[in-house]
Amino acid sequence: MKPASFEYLRPESVAEAVATLDLYGGTARILAGGQSLVPMLGMRLMRPGAVIDINGLGEELGRIEARGSETTIGALVRYSEAETSPVIAERLPLLGTAIRHIGDRQVRNRGTLGGAIAQSDPTGEVALVALTLGATVLVTGPGGERELAADGFFVGSYANTLGPEEMITGVRFGVVPSRSAFFERGRKHNDFAVLSLAVVATPESDGTWHDVRIGMGGMNDTPVLARAAAERLEGARWDEAALAEAATLALRDADPPEDVRASAEYRAHLLPIHLGRLLAGLAKEPRHG
Amino acid sequence: MDELIEITVTVNGTVHREQVSPRMHVADFLRRGLGLTGTHVGCEQGVCGMCTILLDGDAVKSCLMLAPQLDGREVRTVESLAEGGELAPVQRAFKEAHGLQCGFCTPGFLMTATALKESGRSLDREEIRDELSGVICRCTGYEGIVNAVDRVLNGDAVGVEDER
Amino acid sequence: MSGSVATERRTGVLGSSVPRKEDDRLLQGDGRFTDDVEPARSLHMAVGRCPFPRARIESIDVEAAAAMPGVHQVLTGVDIVARTEPIGVLRPVPGAVQLPFYALAEEFCVFEGQPVVSVVADSRQIAEDAVEAIWIDYEPLAHVTDTLAALEPDAPVIHPDRMESNLLASNPQHRGDAEAVLRDADVVVGDSFQIGRVAPLPMEPRAVVAEWRPGARELTAHVATQVPHLVRMQLAESLRLDEGEVRVITGDVGGGFGLKLGLYPEELLACRHAMDLRRAVKWVEDRLEHFRASTHARESVHEFRIGADADGTFVAMTDLYTTDLGGQNSGFGSAQLSSIVFTGPYRVEDGAVERRVAVTNKTPVGAYRGYGQPEVNLARETLIDRLARRLGRDPYELRLQNLLGADELPWRNAAGALYDSGDYAQCLRMVAEAIDYERLRAAGRGPGEDGRYRGVGFTCFVERTGYASAKFLANRGSRYGAHESVTLRANRSGGIDLYTGVSTFGQSNETAFAQICAEVHGIDFDAIRVHAGDTGATPLNTGAFASRTLIAGSGAVREAAQELRDKTLRIAAGQLSVEVEDLEVVDGAVVSRTDPDKRVTLADLHRAAIIGQGLPADEQPGLEATAHFEPTDAAYAYGSAAAVVAVDAETGEFEIERFVLAHDSGRIVNPGAVEGQVRGALAQGFGAALTEELRYEPQSGQLVNGTMLDYFVPTASDLPAVELLHTEVPSPVTPFGVRGVGETGTIPPGAAIANAICDALAEYGVEISSLPITPELVWRAIRKAGNGGESREG
Repeated sequence: MKPASFEYLRPESVAEAVATLDLYGGTARILAGGQSLVPMLGMRLMRPGAVIDINGLGEELGRIEARGSETTIGALVRYSEAETSPVIAERLPLLGTAIRHIGDRQVRNRGTLGGAIAQSDPTGEVALVALTLGATVLVTGPGGERELAADGFFVGSYANTLGPEEMITGVRFGVVPSRSAFFERGRKHNDFAVLSLAVVATPESDGTWHDVRIGMGGMNDTPVLARAAAERLEGARWDEAALAEAATLALRDADPPEDVRASAEYRAHLLPIHLGRLLAGLAKEPRHG
Repeated sequence: MDELIEITVTVNGTVHREQVSPRMHVADFLRRGLGLTGTHVGCEQGVCGMCTILLDGDAVKSCLMLAPQLDGREVRTVESLAEGGELAPVQRAFKEAHGLQCGFCTPGFLMTATALKESGRSLDREEIRDELSGVICRCTGYEGIVNAVDRVLNGDAVGVEDER
Repeated sequence: MSGSVATERRTGVLGSSVPRKEDDRLLQGDGRFTDDVEPARSLHMAVGRCPFPRARIESIDVEAAAAMPGVHQVLTGVDIVARTEPIGVLRPVPGAVQLPFYALAEEFCVFEGQPVVSVVADSRQIAEDAVEAIWIDYEPLAHVTDTLAALEPDAPVIHPDRMESNLLASNPQHRGDAEAVLRDADVVVGDSFQIGRVAPLPMEPRAVVAEWRPGARELTAHVATQVPHLVRMQLAESLRLDEGEVRVITGDVGGGFGLKLGLYPEELLACRHAMDLRRAVKWVEDRLEHFRASTHARESVHEFRIGADADGTFVAMTDLYTTDLGGQNSGFGSAQLSSIVFTGPYRVEDGAVERRVAVTNKTPVGAYRGYGQPEVNLARETLIDRLARRLGRDPYELRLQNLLGADELPWRNAAGALYDSGDYAQCLRMVAEAIDYERLRAAGRGPGEDGRYRGVGFTCFVERTGYASAKFLANRGSRYGAHESVTLRANRSGGIDLYTGVSTFGQSNETAFAQICAEVHGIDFDAIRVHAGDTGATPLNTGAFASRTLIAGSGAVREAAQELRDKTLRIAAGQLSVEVEDLEVVDGAVVSRTDPDKRVTLADLHRAAIIGQGLPADEQPGLEATAHFEPTDAAYAYGSAAAVVAVDAETGEFEIERFVLAHDSGRIVNPGAVEGQVRGALAQGFGAALTEELRYEPQSGQLVNGTMLDYFVPTASDLPAVELLHTEVPSPVTPFGVRGVGETGTIPPGAAIANAICDALAEYGVEISSLPITPELVWRAIRKAGNGGESREG
């Protein structure tokens, strides 16, 4: 389990990294945290012509910035940093919670948020949160910078709309709803999810809920939004009937895979139950806090 | 032949300048390049955690980094823990709490526990288990390991017999 | 000389949790595992493997690979068949046709991962490049991966040259007439139980470093194995060498669990390359290879039946079971202990058990901690609970009614096993008391405030530890004995060097052997140095497996230590002019009990003996002793477990709230080490019961989860809290009354958890008949029961 040969390159700027990607015509891979890339190299499931190590670009890519209503997280910010960041705890509590379900301490010490988005694992926590919160993926390529909505970025299992000569530089979050909840079920501690769920919404004083978004991981070949379920709950009072209906509606946006972790049928069985419970828990929380 | 890359890395307090192949991971470099065979390789898939080292003070899996990535970094391995033949407190705790059997995973746990201790965090047993979940032990059932780390972090007596 | 039996405590070291001898080096990264050995200018081997479950090799083109810079040699099956002998099986299935296998496939491949080519190069990287450059044309052949499907008449026959079907052997045993008794029984319960295929998964992968000095005709093989002396025999046979030309060295081994038992193809290949190249050759298994080429375990189907009288008395048990061998034999062979303990600790006169071994196109199966005992335990113990439900009886009471009483032992079970001693019911009562069974029962099954149902599950078991005798083994075709041996050699520092062929892989043997030596001899524990696992330096022995090491080894250590002590005291008596009976060993010296001023240090005595000066006239120089010990019988460890489980009936998800095990391992040498062994085996038991399973996709015949990412081995956060209780009934058939302890924990988790879940969901009529018990499996069982299920009780 040793990698095939490749060039190892260490650019000194994002511009140089992108130029190098361009030079290799799409056969180069970006090495950020390396927690997925390095074993894939070893198993020879990936044979890039070059590996472009961007770990020296912390100045450009390693910051968590709160500016006005927006929060931008650099692609090289590591999970452990995000996990303990007061900015994220205050502004993006959903992200802070979800990250604790990723891998283990060692993996979180190296793995990066940009890497997670690029990996586009259908059960990835960061991708799920970015989708649920309507984040924007910041991308640089030979043609300059692009901004891609997370909604639409993930197009298949481990596939996204990033061009082969582009790299992710960060993720930007806007204002997020005031309440959030996260749930994950795996076959063992912090394993890839059988099912993961992220919910955000803002309760109003009249008892209705707004800005409802529900994300689902492990329920499709990408993280997906439960649009029909969210629609049912938008502007509604979350009584028992509404929650039950919404939980079932979530199945409309699900097309669960069958794998060694669970059958499609079981995933579909779990979805309304756990979503119903997650929503009920959120609805029951004190309305101020 | 692969093109070699020159790196300067501090390992256990000693500065090394070495030529490394990019298709060698850090664990292999420490073992074969520097002869520090205390860092073990258990899966090269980033799961088992045997190969955990401290990189600038953070616990990381050394099979998940390429050797050239060590340039300019500071590494500590299990060989750094004991001083002058005296076991470090974390090593003593593992010994007293029967925290090892075959000993293959032990360096991974010791380095993970060392980083935890240095973080200054106080953790309950469930949190300790979570922090240790990146290293797999197939011998002990983890109880002795958790007892040892609990003792290191929280100073508890764990009810095991001290040295005779 | 060694006639007296010394079991009184002299030093207090026996029975205490002394710090382990192994720890200091392992804690400092100074263990010496096989991959830590790297002779100068070592070369590295990589192995190309068959990607199909079954195939014929049409052609192999190695030209491009052999010409690559840095590549030294490529071997194919043709070379290996011409130049080596098949690998011998240490414990063949009794009554089976021979299925000899070579280290590389010549024409036919019978499992995914089977070695087909091997390459040696300057680095592992280059060797792997070269393996990729070898062009192999395969003709995929019809395959079968399911155990029972392999025995169907329409299944492709995997070894058509040697077998007419895929049934390798069938081994029936019986006592009485179980069928007749079942016909007349008031009630019979029965079902078919599927036990999942698992990986023993030691954390150190397999490894070998081979060196050959042609002028000396000496092959030195560093091998990560549990049985260096047996591997030496197998290597010599396969490489056509005299045993004297082969030295196997086993340093520290990073876990074995039965997997590192006997010679594997890669070890032989590295040696063959080293002999050809006159260079050291290293191979370290990677995890992708490990999941496909190291032995698997457990997979079997048990058709179990229990018959009982209306009052609950068990009258007969039968078990017709099929174990899955994989595509061919491993160096050790598949699990064989389900038969011997199938009736468990119960009073059952009539019984019949039949083991069938099926060949399938999967990785060969080998030994794994438990060796058949966890499998049969699930079948028997879940059926006992079903019987209780059928009779309206409490499963705890039903077990108490049928457990053998202490006064009924020794007792021979229907498979011929002789249970030596013990109080089985005591362990069951202890776990019931620990969980406060009465209170739990009174509280009802729920659902509780959290919406979950709560159930209690019990299981009782006996566990065969050690071997009855070499004769017992020989009758079954085993190619090893039942004895253990040890050499003790006094050194000039006043210490004792202890040499054992038992390698060190986590069982604390170095510590336990030194404890026994200190206890018998009187020397300080710290003054004993253990040297393990080098066939060039240790007496010929059997090896570390079958929970037999301590049983047989303690006898050998005791005898050798007694012999050494006797001679030491005789020399001292001469020097001090006192009677031997007046002397004792205290604090590194031999001292007169009546006149403590009369003393001579062990260092002085050892020097005198080694030089041969100052000895009594009739004493020979030298101070060392070698002893061999073969136990007369196997010892049966036993225990009971109780699990309390909370189940979510909507999702099938469940939580093990309590798990209590009470067990008896006889006299305990080192409580800390024993607890570690039990907890470690339990962790493996929980893994196999709850999460671990190697899955093959039937259509493609491919292993679908052969990585650490997809094989769910428990982490520190995945295991329930375990409460351990123990009794200490000495076994009458072993030295010091010890019983083996290494495998106990693997046995009870599956049955106790299955019973607890079914108890919790009794109102749904849920039944569990397979491992692992995943939430999805429980959900399916609930759904099936809800659909009216299907009564499979016969």
